[in-house]
Order: sequence, then C-alpha cells, then structure tokens
Amino acid sequence: MGLVESGKIPKPLTKLLNMSRRYSMWVYQWGLACCAIEMGAAFASPRYDVMRLGVIPLPASPRQADFLVVSGTVTDKMAPAVRRLWEQMPDPKYVISMGSCANCGGPYWDSYSVTKGVDQVIPVDVYVPGCPPRPEALLEGIVLLQERIMNEDMAERWKGDPIVVE
Amino acid sequence: MATTESDQMAYIAAQAADARVNVEVETDEGMTLNLGPQHPATHGTLRIVAKLDGEKVLAAEPIMGYMHRGYEKLTEVRTYPQVTTLVNRIDWLGSFANEVPFILAAEQLMEVEAPPRAQWIRTVLFELSRIANISLFLGDMAVQVGATTPVFYAFRDREFVLNQIERVTGGRFHPNFDRIGGLKDDLPKGWIEETGAVLGKMRDFCDEMEELVLGNEIFQARTRGIGVIPPDVALSYGLSGANLRASGIDWDIRRDANVGLVYDEVDWKVWTHPDGDSFSRFWVRLQETREAINILEQLLGGIPSGPIMAKVPRIIKVPAGEAYVATENPLGEMGFYVVSQGDLTPFRVKIRSASFSNMSITPWLLKGVFVPDIISILASLYFILGDIDR
Amino acid sequence: MAEIPEHLLKRAQAAREKAEAEAKSSTGDSTKPEETAVTETTETDEEVILTDEKAEAALATLQQELEGKILDSHIATGRGLWIRVGIQDWRPAAKAAKEALDCKFFDWLSAIDWMPSPYGREHETEQDLINDDPEENDDKEMEWGYTGGETRFQLICRVYSISKKIGVMIKADLPDNDPRALSLIPIYAGANWHEREAREMFGLTFDEHPDLRNIYLPGDFEGHPLRKDYPLLSRRMKPWPGIVDVELLPGDEE
Repeated sequence: MGLVESGKIPKPLTKLLNMSRRYSMWVYQWGLACCAIEMGAAFASPRYDVMRLGVIPLPASPRQADFLVVSGTVTDKMAPAVRRLWEQMPDPKYVISMGSCANCGGPYWDSYSVTKGVDQVIPVDVYVPGCPPRPEALLEGIVLLQERIMNEDMAERWKGDPIVVE
Repeated sequence: MATTESDQMAYIAAQAADARVNVEVETDEGMTLNLGPQHPATHGTLRIVAKLDGEKVLAAEPIMGYMHRGYEKLTEVRTYPQVTTLVNRIDWLGSFANEVPFILAAEQLMEVEAPPRAQWIRTVLFELSRIANISLFLGDMAVQVGATTPVFYAFRDREFVLNQIERVTGGRFHPNFDRIGGLKDDLPKGWIEETGAVLGKMRDFCDEMEELVLGNEIFQARTRGIGVIPPDVALSYGLSGANLRASGIDWDIRRDANVGLVYDEVDWKVWTHPDGDSFSRFWVRLQETREAINILEQLLGGIPSGPIMAKVPRIIKVPAGEAYVATENPLGEMGFYVVSQGDLTPFRVKIRSASFSNMSITPWLLKGVFVPDIISILASLYFILGDIDR
Repeated sequence: MAEIPEHLLKRAQAAREKAEAEAKSSTGDSTKPEETAVTETTETDEEVILTDEKAEAALATLQQELEGKILDSHIATGRGLWIRVGIQDWRPAAKAAKEALDCKFFDWLSAIDWMPSPYGREHETEQDLINDDPEENDDKEMEWGYTGGETRFQLICRVYSISKKIGVMIKADLPDNDPRALSLIPIYAGANWHEREAREMFGLTFDEHPDLRNIYLPGDFEGHPLRKDYPLLSRRMKPWPGIVDVELLPGDEE
C-alpha cells in the first residue's frame, strides 16, 4: 500500500490496521524437540485452543505465515535450515522462541553440537522460558506478541532493508 | 496493490530457495526427493532423501543429526543425580520411562535396592508414561494416512494422563522424579482414586480409536501388507518393542528380563501379531495401551506401604564397575551401559535407545515401496527424534 | 466398545501358541537354560555366594567355540556375561555368539575411551582444568573395567539370545596406532549405523563397511567428541553453574 510506504499513516488507520493484523495471524510451527509436543498441545488440542486468540495454526507453507514459533533445541546442523525457513517468510514477520533450548541452549549449554540460542541465527521477538513451557505459557507469549504488534508503528517497520536470500 | 521491487526480489529469491529445497538433484537414475528436515510428517527433524523411479522408491536414506545434542558426552560431566535431568529429554513423550533404566543401572553398581513401595510407584509411573506416549502415536498414525480428527482426540485425552503425572511429580513432561534408591516424594492424597477414573477414560479412548481408525477401509488399504518386516530381519537390525512383537516375536523385557520393576506381581499378557506390516504395528500398540491400563488397574490396588527411599549417602559416589540395564520403554528397548570409576560422574554412559535401532532398518524397508507409503511406514515404525539422535 | 476383528484375534492367538510351543521345544533341547538364573550354591553363616549357571553355560559354549581365543571373561551374577577377545577375533566372536549361542538379537555396538580425562571430571572442579603439561597427564593411569584391557580404545558390542535369555558383551582392544576393526555387517545387518556412530564419535575405522559417513555431525565437524581429550569449549569459558548440587535447606546451615 502506497500509504504505508510513504511513511505517513494517520493514527486511527494505524490502529485499525494493527488490530486487524493482530487478530489474524498465521503461525508456522517449527517443532524441533520436546517443546514441539507442548506446542502441539497448544495448537492442536481442544483444551488450549489457540484460535480464540485469532491465531491460525498449521499453514501449508512458511510463505503464508506471519510468525514463527521455534520450539526446541536448535543444533548447529539445523541452524542453516532455521535461517532459510525464516527467510522464506514474508515481511512483516515475528519470531517466538519457545523453551530454554531455543532461548539459550538450556540443559545443553555445554554441548558440542547445540546452538546456544536461536537468536544467534534469527532475530527473536518474544522469549518463552520453561523446559518445556506449558501450553499456557506459549499462549501468554502469543498475547505479548500481539500487544507488541498493536503498539507498532507500521511505517517504521516497513522502512527496513528488503530481505534478500543469497 | 502495488508491488515494490523488494517484494519482487524477495519473491524470486524465495522461489529459488524453495526449488533448491524440494527437488535437489535430478539424475539419470531418477528423481531425488527430499523430505525434511522440517516436514509435517516426521516427528521432529528427520530428513529422508529418496531416489525415485516414477512413484517407486529405488533407495531411501534417512539423514539424522538435526537433533543430536551430545548426551553421551554430557553425562561424563554431570553428577549421577544430574544425569536424570538430561536423559528425561531423550524420549520426550514418555519421560519418566527414560530415567528408570539409568537409575536402575546406578543402583546395581551401588548395590542398593529401592523399597517395595518405590518400586511399585515407579512401575505405575512407568506405565502411565507408556500410555501418555502411545496414545499420541495412535492419533498421529491416523494423521499420517490422512485422517485429522484422531490426533485431536489423542491430545485431548492425553491431558488427563499428563495431569496425573503432574500431580505426583510436578512436571507434565520431564518429571525428574526418580532418585537413586527410591523416589523423590510419595503419592499425593487421593491420587490413586483419581487415576482410576482417568484409566477409565483412557479405556474409552482406546475403544474410540479402534472404532475410528482400525476398521476404516482407507486405513486398512494404506497399511495392510505395507512395510512387512520378517522376524529374522527384525532381530538382526535390533528392532525392539512393539515393532518386534508385530513381527511375531514374543519378547518383552517386562516379562522376560525384568529388572527392578514389579511386573511379576500382576497378571498381564504380551501381545504379538504375525504379519509384521504397518497395520500390525498399530494393532499391537493399541493392544499394549489397553494392557498398560490393565496393569495399572491391578497395580493401583496393591501398592504396599512403607518408605519410598532407601538409605543412600547424600553425595552419591558410585563404586567402580560396569552395568547394563534395559527396560521395555514405550518405544522399545532402552538401555544404559554405565561405566563407573568410583567418581561423582559416570566415566562413560552408552545410551541404547530404541528408535535408533528401529530406524536403522529404514534403508532396507523403504526400498521398492511407493512414495505415499514412506509416510505410513515411518509413522508405523514410530520413532521420536530425541531417541534417534540423542 | 468396538470389536476386535475375529480373524485378528485368532491369528494373534495362533502366533502366540506357536511361539510358546517353539520356546518349549527349544528349552527341551538345550541343557537346562530355563533354570532359575541365580541359584544359591554355597551358604555359610555369614556370606552367600551366588553363581549364575546360565552365564557359566554360555561362557563354556563360547569357550568351546572360540578355542582359547577368549582373553578374559567376567560374570556379574544375574547381570550377564562379559568376554574380551583379540581384535583379530572380533568378527569370529560375534559369529560364534550368533551361531552357538543363538544370539540373533543385535543390541548395540559402541566403544570406550579408557584414557583418563585430561580436563578433570571431579565434582568440585570449578572450571575444567586445562592441563597442558604432558607429564602430569601421564601420571594418571588407565583403569580398565570388567575383563581388563590393554589399549586406549575398546570396542564393545552386546548381543542377546532371546531363546536362551542371555546377553553377551563382547569387548576387543583396538591397537593404539591404527584403531580399526572388521565390520560386523555381514553377521548383523543392524551394525551399520552403530559403526558409523562409533566412527565419528571415536575416530575408529571399520573395514568392509560400505558407507562410513558421519551419521550425526555435519560433514565439516572437526574432532571426535566422545574421545576423552575432546574439550567442551563452553565449559572452558564459564564455570559449571550446577556445582551446588545439594542446596542447604533452611535451618541446615553449619
């Protein structure tokens, strides 16, 4: 939209757009380890029901996704794939890092094959602590992300350089 | 809607990247199809590279290591009580079952034995982990052959079991509850009755799964006669657990080589199936879940009273020696080979995980099947990536 | 409750009966393997010496089959049998176990590095010691476990006999200068991945193995992580945060 790129959006319009973005998010689940099951419980189980937050799980591809949940241990062998998948997502994109392993390496802090935190590979918006975090904790993280989106200045966000895959 | 240059560039680059990921090489022998490392049909991050001739798989090879976390090295720099925290996370669907063989191996070396009450509660939690683990398989297997509903039921009913585990141990997933010489705590008040009610629900869940999935024509067409493993091949690849029993071998560590758990006290049955195909693996697991409920119902009625902790020193030094203890985990035989040299940390721990051996048969098994069968065969072998890669 | 299809039940039952019948017939043939595993033989006032007849019988069978190639053996009562052979007898020993003892079940294969860790592995170590003085390293002597050993690396493999219910650990010393052994794939197909794992973790070589690529680590990974002299770099940077294992409880202060 030309209005957004011009950098001048009236406040009420920003609010309207942000609200509509906030409650229509596709989440791409990058289930890696134990946390993937808790994420599955949050996304696929009727008990936690993530859709009431306006979040739609299980898109067909990262191309459709608005935010990514990295849940579980990222290893050095996996890190390039995480990066590539993140690059495939369209802007604006957000990342939730779920669980101690994705946050900082967790119990594998001294392992020879584990990346000590997914934020070494991709930028992270919300960290959800826990080993693994309960599904409720992930929902809390999603709510925090939604608040962040709500307060975002879209024009500011769009000013960034385009993401180019080499 | 106007498209900016950056959008276009990003789109083109993304298309190129996608092409690289999906179809890597085309050779004279046929097409190479790459599944994974992130693929919705794998339990975690497994990658399968398959060479195809049309729909037929000429050769398929799993590529692992995307989840390799170096457990065996890390155990050498952790004290014995700290190791259970790590090994919890190997098979993350039935965590408590991972702790037990390690603790039993350490107990063997220290020559201590847990009091009877601790052994019973261990067995109870062990079987609860089995239900928590296999119930998800039952739902997931159906997803892999195209039915989405069962997995929602599985997630729904699994919560009841997880809640019971949480009430005892404080953790839904990784209890870290087992100690050398006993358990951390006793059962909370009223737990036994509540668990009895949960078992009733899980029995209904098994019936529901059977009704939904087992008799389904599509399910049968996708699994009957697919991925047949003959018994001698299964043995030489070291398959264990339900995969071995589905090939007609009547072998269960709980009955035949039981160490430290109280399966001798209850009346139960080992289920086998002669076919060795994907269907029989599903069937055996379904029956095993029922049998686990059966075992639990008997165990809950007879937990002896007494202490839950034997006398062990506060700082645990394990005498020198070697011990190998294996238990019948939800995924198959899980064993710990612990070498101690009298230190606070183990000298070497070899983890024999079930899925690693179960998966090592896939290059043999996937040869000559059709592409859609890759998914159903892998699903029926039932692996967990943490258990393969460790 | 849905019914289990009738034919399935029948087939399962038939298979079970067949397996039971086979188990019975095989026990009849061999010499008393179904006796209780642990029997008390000698009983004095104070001590009870336990022997493991099943393991002894298995050891006797293997000794007969391997004709003095077993360098050492160990029986842990009720816990199984360990034997050690020379590296040239690695494959024959596995073959003997499979054929004479009916150990058809391939359990696992791995290796042990018996060198004491140069970084210290004591609980109290605030930071892993960096010991560059080679002489001090030489002070620590290698201590081998059951059945002893001669060299730094030892291969170990466990096979199991489902009919006789006995597991055998086979160990073999690897030469220090060139750690290589014959692959067990012709005998146990499942050894393939286990040998690949042992190769990348310890830097061993298996002859006649078709495909000795890395199984876990990326292709450009340097070093062999399970060797004792492989450093965990994170531990060099930062003291181990889990030193306080037993925290004092309130009122527990000295």
